[in-house]
Amino acid sequence: MAEKIEKLEDYNISKRVKPKANPLAKIGIIGCGEMGQDIALLCSSHGIDVVFIEISALRVKEAINELNAKLDELINRWGITGSEKRAVMSRIKGYTDYNVLKKCGIIIEAVSTHGYENVIPVKKEIFKKIENVVPKETIIATNSSTIVISELASVLNYPERAVGLHFLAPADRVKIVEVVRSLVTSDEAIDFVEKFARAIDKKVIHVNESAGNISTRLIVPLINEACELYLEGVGNIKDIDDTMKLGYGLQLGPFEMADKIGLDKVAKWMDNLFKEFGDKKYIASPLIKKLVRSNRLGRISEEGFYSYKNGIKTGVAED
Amino acid sequence: MKILVLNCGSSSIKYQLFEMDEKKALTKGIVDKIGMNGAYVKNTRCDGNEIKLDGEIVDHQAGIEYVLGILISRNHGVLKNLEEIDAVGHRVVHGADKFSSSMLITDEVVAKLEECISLAPLHNPPNLKGIYSIKNLLPSVKQVGAFDTAFHQTMPPYTYLYALPYSLYEKYRIRRYGFHGTSHRYVSARACEILGVKRSDMKIISCHLGNGSSIAAIKNGKSLDTSMGMTPVEGVIMGTRCGDIDAGALTYMMQKEEIGIKETNTLINKHSGMIGITGVSSDMREIEDAAYNKKNERAKLGLQMFHYRIKKYIGAYGAAMNGVDILTFTGGIGENGIRSREEICKEMEFMGIEIDSKKNDVRGKEAVVSKDGSKVKVVVVPTNEELVIALDTMKVINNEPIDF
Repeated sequence: MAEKIEKLEDYNISKRVKPKANPLAKIGIIGCGEMGQDIALLCSSHGIDVVFIEISALRVKEAINELNAKLDELINRWGITGSEKRAVMSRIKGYTDYNVLKKCGIIIEAVSTHGYENVIPVKKEIFKKIENVVPKETIIATNSSTIVISELASVLNYPERAVGLHFLAPADRVKIVEVVRSLVTSDEAIDFVEKFARAIDKKVIHVNESAGNISTRLIVPLINEACELYLEGVGNIKDIDDTMKLGYGLQLGPFEMADKIGLDKVAKWMDNLFKEFGDKKYIASPLIKKLVRSNRLGRISEEGFYSYKNGIKTGVAED
Repeated sequence: MKILVLNCGSSSIKYQLFEMDEKKALTKGIVDKIGMNGAYVKNTRCDGNEIKLDGEIVDHQAGIEYVLGILISRNHGVLKNLEEIDAVGHRVVHGADKFSSSMLITDEVVAKLEECISLAPLHNPPNLKGIYSIKNLLPSVKQVGAFDTAFHQTMPPYTYLYALPYSLYEKYRIRRYGFHGTSHRYVSARACEILGVKRSDMKIISCHLGNGSSIAAIKNGKSLDTSMGMTPVEGVIMGTRCGDIDAGALTYMMQKEEIGIKETNTLINKHSGMIGITGVSSDMREIEDAAYNKKNERAKLGLQMFHYRIKKYIGAYGAAMNGVDILTFTGGIGENGIRSREEICKEMEFMGIEIDSKKNDVRGKEAVVSKDGSKVKVVVVPTNEELVIALDTMKVINNEPIDF
């Protein structure tokens, strides 16, 4: 017997015309670079629809290709199967028009700081553009750690909906997310973000607004001090890393960590922290500045403190 | 009496509505892709009326609501109103060591099931969602849980314990629980009915061979041992699960591939088994086609390994029970895999297993497929877990003992 296609809503016993939309069913991401992609994959793999916004159709296409490549890499590393990849990709769509964000429960700004001298005006502009298209209940979040949420929220008509939502890379593996509340962030916004964090299987670390949150404030001085140790000739790069890994059980040593984060990003974080606190412990080591100027940015440029080939570390980089 | 049986998975719900007087399914169907794009409900009424409805299904409760809507609808329904549903029976995957038979769902039972989530993080939460949804939608209807693990609760400690530090068992209940219990229970009982013997006198080896497979040693009507363990990964080779491997190989592999717990779990659950060995498919029909028609060497090897591992279990369970009277086959492969049954039973005459090639030429039907003189009777029994759940549900709400 041939199958007939009818409308499912006709069979809803509570006679609701349309089921109430689940605000956690769809999220938006602004900027689909490294972190935006990781957040997109994380959410999609937990069954959440994702729309991301990029600056051009070309970037949308590139981001989709990069997402595919990331999942292929996961398959090679036994993380997922081909059919799971198809399911994850089917939930992610990229656009250039902010209007697609209308039905998202939360919008996460995750614009990469690469290439921006001062990214704050850019992020403020994004916050305004988001608010123009979404209802007033929609949560607007930023993934930045060293730019305080109040600063970005100041451009909003409803600043109480703004929260900081700081994922640490790689977002799919790190088990925590820092949830940052400003002086005006509402309890509803925090509740929503907590639910969202549960839906993507993350433990919430509550942070009261302060530049660098907990994570960046602690990692940055460690990296900087490691540079000082090296410059003073106290130890070599590998030994300093091994001391922290084997001695203190860190997964990555400070130099490996800096390479992973990206040295330009570390430098930018430090600048932001120095501007905020004026404490010279946040002045980036000359070594970091020197490497950034010579475009040795870490893994992303295949050379930082170490050299990399196809994402695999090959040894300490030559001076 | 009418009983609705629900089998809630992570993104799907399989359902059947039974008329218990005739033990007949009035309608059955599936809700699939819950919470995703392309969600649908497909319903097939016993008279052949079939309907597929596409639309947004946000969660399990919405899916169940639509199923109830279909059950009472004019075009595709079988009920006048929802009050006709006397009870709902749920398949629950993991009952750990807390449930040894089907149970009336009470708040206390729900609390115990919530405690079992860590043992079956993929299966128990959707099972619970089905229970919560019915509580919301049909608050006065009694619910019964039938546990995949319950039948195996008769296993003695010497078969269910792993030789790990005993403290780990005490701390985390790490032990063999076994699965497919409802199927093993039904098939072993039905085989005895077919043969006209009493199950309480029999030594039975029950092979449930499907995408997930397990074998059970059933002595005098009680599960003595089974191949699946604390999780469904242990035992025979499955579609995508590795079955038994050296635990040392696992840690070595993790070290060499530099992978963590999550990846390792995916590796042994989804990339291994028949798909891992053959590279062809996890589907036995495609593997047999590749091996026998296309001469694919890896497919041949995979089949050899699959049959061999099952033989090994049959031999072991024969030894464990000091003999075997009945060997049963069920599940997709057990019911339809003529060649698989033949290969598994080949050269087992020493144990008294003699399969009859002619009688074995049967798919999806109850049949005795051993030679007339075979000491061990080999029986094919299509499984019917939903009917067992419905029968259990009826007995539990009538306060009658579950007698098989």
